[in-house]
Amino acid sequence: MADTLIDVKDLRIHFFTDEGVVRAVGGVDLAITRGKTLALVGESGCGKSVACRALLNIVHRPGKIVSGEIIFHRMFHQSSGSGSDASVDIAELNPKGREIRDIRGKEIAMIFQEPMTSFSSMYTIGNQIMENILLHTNLSKQEARILTIELLDKVGIPKPSRLIDEYPFRLSGGMRQRAMIAMALSCSPTLLIADEPTTALDVTTQANILDLMQNLQKQYEMTLLFITHDLGVVAEIADEVAVMYLGKIIEKSDVFTLFNSPAHPYTQALLKSVPKIAMTREALDPIKGMVPNPYSRPSGCPFHPRCPKAFAACKTIVPKTTSLGLHHTVQCLLYEDVTERQATEALS
Amino acid sequence: MLTYILRRLLYMIPVMFIISILVFLTIQLPPGDPITKMIENQRLQQGRVFSEKDIEMMQARFGYGDPLPVQYTKWIGNIVLRGDFGYSFYKREEAGKVIADLMPLTIAISLGSFIFTWIVALPIGVLSAVRQYSIADYVFTFIGFIGLAIPNFLLALILLVLGLTTFHTSFTGLFSSAEIQQAPWSLAKVWDLLKHAWVPMVVIGTGGTAGLIRIMRANLLDELHKPYVETARAKGLSEMRLLVKYPLRHAMNPFVSGFAYLLPYLVAGEAIVAIVMNLPTEGPTLLNSLLNLDVYLGGGILLLISFMTLISTLLSDILLAWLDPRIRYGN
Ligand SMILES: Nc1ncnc2c1ncn2[C@@H]1O[C@H](COP(=O)(O)OP(=O)(O)OP(=O)(O)O)[C@@H](O)[C@H]1O
Ligand SMILES: [Mg+2]
Repeated sequence: MADTLIDVKDLRIHFFTDEGVVRAVGGVDLAITRGKTLALVGESGCGKSVACRALLNIVHRPGKIVSGEIIFHRMFHQSSGSGSDASVDIAELNPKGREIRDIRGKEIAMIFQEPMTSFSSMYTIGNQIMENILLHTNLSKQEARILTIELLDKVGIPKPSRLIDEYPFRLSGGMRQRAMIAMALSCSPTLLIADEPTTALDVTTQANILDLMQNLQKQYEMTLLFITHDLGVVAEIADEVAVMYLGKIIEKSDVFTLFNSPAHPYTQALLKSVPKIAMTREALDPIKGMVPNPYSRPSGCPFHPRCPKAFAACKTIVPKTTSLGLHHTVQCLLYEDVTERQATEALS
Repeated sequence: MLTYILRRLLYMIPVMFIISILVFLTIQLPPGDPITKMIENQRLQQGRVFSEKDIEMMQARFGYGDPLPVQYTKWIGNIVLRGDFGYSFYKREEAGKVIADLMPLTIAISLGSFIFTWIVALPIGVLSAVRQYSIADYVFTFIGFIGLAIPNFLLALILLVLGLTTFHTSFTGLFSSAEIQQAPWSLAKVWDLLKHAWVPMVVIGTGGTAGLIRIMRANLLDELHKPYVETARAKGLSEMRLLVKYPLRHAMNPFVSGFAYLLPYLVAGEAIVAIVMNLPTEGPTLLNSLLNLDVYLGGGILLLISFMTLISTLLSDILLAWLDPRIRYGN
């Protein structure tokens, strides 16, 4: 597909701890469309952060990408105006090697959840932003500094020529997150990954930052992968949504379809659990049960112990990806021909 | 920054005042007055008798017989105004001169062992953290614990025996002979010092090294997975540049603050090593002066060591503030 920027195929990431193996990401298929905003949603601990770190190949020990492909379709613009496709499998690159380091911060940039601790307190924000520019461009220090001031201005930091020399701990959380965005944008990346960039901020700041990111995405014609567990945020910014549960993408569709006709029982429950102002307290419907222990994932469909619509086959058969529409896929036995699956399972 | 330093220097005045009172009280603690005691000692041991005039002169000089506050004022006044630390009855020399003779070597040995500690502990600590649970980590941890467990004076003794039996040289002292020690400073004397000084530096340094390796390793391990490291890695920095610029810089603080405790550690803690190795440093001299009721020498050493500890605390704080902007801004 020409308009796919990143194609993740059967990605598996395991953490090899002393207590056992944690299958944090257990076979993820995900295509990220060029120029669009994809929201990745799911409960805490379902593997969102780990999966998106894999896109930069910065999964750290004891975690390891054990299998799968992350095909990055880079576009090299040529003078004629037509682009040539040079794909690279990020999962295959040496995490310490030159090739992936050239992609990081330049073609794929990332914004992290914690604005408080994501900058080092030892250096000024200017120093840390310029570092990214100097690393990936041929600009001189002077030019990098001018660019940094422009970027800080663009993300709405007041008095950028003064604040560039401030230390991160002297800025508020919102300002720091803006500086973080400026740093991520400094080399005009093709893909911007934002891992819950607003979770640690208050509601007003959160709204401002979301607006800013939407504007910048249009300006820079970036693809945005936005990780969140806030469905309100999803409704506001996303073009497409992928729902993750226990290391798997259990449903993916465009944002309207997902909110109007969610297919997977988990997605349905997730949408029901969002408080709306008109609702009474009793009507709020949290998903029953707990997220299972990461060391012993359920057999069959990972959601079956908590699923209101589970039936006998759900305990044993792992659902496959079923297509429900043009851009709507789901992993649930409700949408599969179970007798056929049982027959093939019995044969093998 | 400048006002910070000035303020710290001002704070030192009352602190030094309190310390001087404590030191003064300490040297008053032994029963009897030191001059009578000394005269008695001298008569018993060497049959030396002081004339009445000598005794009166000495008593007048230090104000014995006056009330304690007056004595204190005279003692501290002599030191502050004229640099006169009093007389060492045991060494039969001006106490100030005895202290001044020993101080440069004491400082040299402390600095030397500190640098040794740094050079060894820093890379090993970093390696153990970056390659946690590797064979190298286990080996260094093992050696480190052995180093921590062996008392330094024992290590000194072992080295002395080894020196005599296998290398046929003596590792004691800081100079080849007493003549060289007395001689004025020259290139030959410095060379001679360097040839001898590494042994005590290593011996004194190893005790601190093992501890510092553990501190460095633990600190760096804490820092290695902090979010700011991940941010820097996501920029595409190479692992080496990343390590040096971010987590290592954050883990440096305990290294720098260790600087402040260097001198008291050496003088108080390592006196035994200095005695075993016959080092001309303040530690053994302090011990001897206390044993012999040589109050002015002992008091002078205590006072100077406290003063220099204050100074090195200030130095390390300035260094910390320079290294860590959070301290500079008082966060
Ligand atoms: N260092 C680690 N050691 C062992 N397991 C880990 C480690 N890091 C992550 N995991 C496992 O990976 C799983 C997914 O973690 P991840 O951080 O991706 O969750 P998340 O979806 O981002 O959650 P949140 O919304 O809280 O950020 C967790 O269940 C956890 O058990
Ligand atoms: Mg996360």
